Amino acid sequence: MDSARPEIIDSHVALGVEHHLHLEAADYLPAMTANGVSMAIARPTGAELAVLNRAGNDRVMTAGPRFRALVTANPWFGNAGLDELDRCRRLGAVGLYLHPTRQGFMPTDPIVEPFVQFAREADWPVVIHTGTYVQSDVLAVAELARRLPDLTFICDCAGFSDMWFELPGVIAEVANLVFIASLIWPRAIGNTVKNVGAHKVLFGSGEPRDSLPAALKRYDRLDLTDEDRRAIFSGNARRLFHLA
Amino acid sequence: MKIIDFHTHLDDRWFQAPLLSQDEFMAGLAEHHIDAACVFTLMGFYEDCPAHNAKLATRAAQSKKLLPFFTVDPKLGSAAIAETERCLASGKFFGLKFHPWIQAFAPSMVKPTLVEILQRVAAAGLPTLFHDGTPPYSTTFQIAAVARWIESASIVLGHAGLADYTLPAIQLTRDIPNLYACVCGPKPADIRHLVDIAGPEKVLFGSDFGLSDSLILADRLDSVRYAGLNETELEQVLWRTSAKLLHLDDIPGDPA
Repeated sequence: MDSARPEIIDSHVALGVEHHLHLEAADYLPAMTANGVSMAIARPTGAELAVLNRAGNDRVMTAGPRFRALVTANPWFGNAGLDELDRCRRLGAVGLYLHPTRQGFMPTDPIVEPFVQFAREADWPVVIHTGTYVQSDVLAVAELARRLPDLTFICDCAGFSDMWFELPGVIAEVANLVFIASLIWPRAIGNTVKNVGAHKVLFGSGEPRDSLPAALKRYDRLDLTDEDRRAIFSGNARRLFHLA
Repeated sequence: MKIIDFHTHLDDRWFQAPLLSQDEFMAGLAEHHIDAACVFTLMGFYEDCPAHNAKLATRAAQSKKLLPFFTVDPKLGSAAIAETERCLASGKFFGLKFHPWIQAFAPSMVKPTLVEILQRVAAAGLPTLFHDGTPPYSTTFQIAAVARWIESASIVLGHAGLADYTLPAIQLTRDIPNLYACVCGPKPADIRHLVDIAGPEKVLFGSDFGLSDSLILADRLDSVRYAGLNETELEQVLWRTSAKLLHLDDIPGDPA
């Protein structure tokens, strides 16, 4: 096994405050540097994810040159939410983040349609939290992906925790469905790479809930080819988020 | 530092998927310096509990490092109570494990039987671990309610809220004296907060090793090691809380 790490892009970082979890961009930079992470895809959290979307989006869009903004708008805000996404697009955001549980909708709800259509027109991938029962159902995200086969849907948290067993089947069946392997355990990552391919997996640290070095160690323990590592650590993120 | 893994599974298979052999399981424990492991069935949650209890006891008898927990199906009423009494009388088991999600019961649905069982287990001085963190039958609130029913019972949240119930698990472990949290799934920041709020004496380590290979054991040890605990807190979580619940003074040793 070659455990050397190629360029690393962290596709799951939440900036802001949510209960006991708190991370500021400036606080994360030293860990990024120490662990060889060149860039992080950051999204809002807490109140800024649920309701104060503009503040959260400004936070991630002003995080600095080593961050790219994964912005959000609660679909219940309707046209005002779409206006906010348009503002973010003009400021350089790279994708749409939705959290059905925190924001209170089912992925297949009609209110979501204009938001994913916006993402489609902006050429953004749609990252959706998965793993929490009812709203953040992996299979509901897969259903949305089936309806819009030319748009990439990314299951954040890989269905962790107890929808993990649904993910292997739908990841294999739905071409435009991939996942960020934050929080999930190593063998689930390894089995996906083996059975479906490394093109379906993006590295994410899960910071600030998880630890960047702990997340990286998961991959050191897996028997992955250099090509797989390049895809998971940076290639897939560069392709899907259209990073220069 | 001594380590007890309070949450593992030792079984042949999960439906059609083969699980680790006994040798592979023991090698995984040795590789990660686990001194003792509480071992649970897996297929016994779906099938004939007494048969799986007997099978687990036989496998665990091969090493003193393996501390078997029995299971019963409380939907069966008096038969579950009888199996509880049989397992306790055998002296072979170190605790009881329930997986309400898989075993298809909400604790409140079978409360009279569950109370009878837990009273007997508590009288024997053994802990009871429940899977938690998953609706509809194993929410952390449902398991915490059980701890309130029987204050003499030591009730362990098998996953300390797992992913979506970690904050309630932290609050409930703080508030309910006989409720403990096994950090099998929560991540470093959750574990740091749990120890800060509930106290390290209410927190213990578990991995789910056996359901997956030893990579999960390494990964879940990392979650504890990256939580920023000091040496005293680390020793409490990795050893002392479990040792107290299991009445272990030292590492159970196998003959050389």
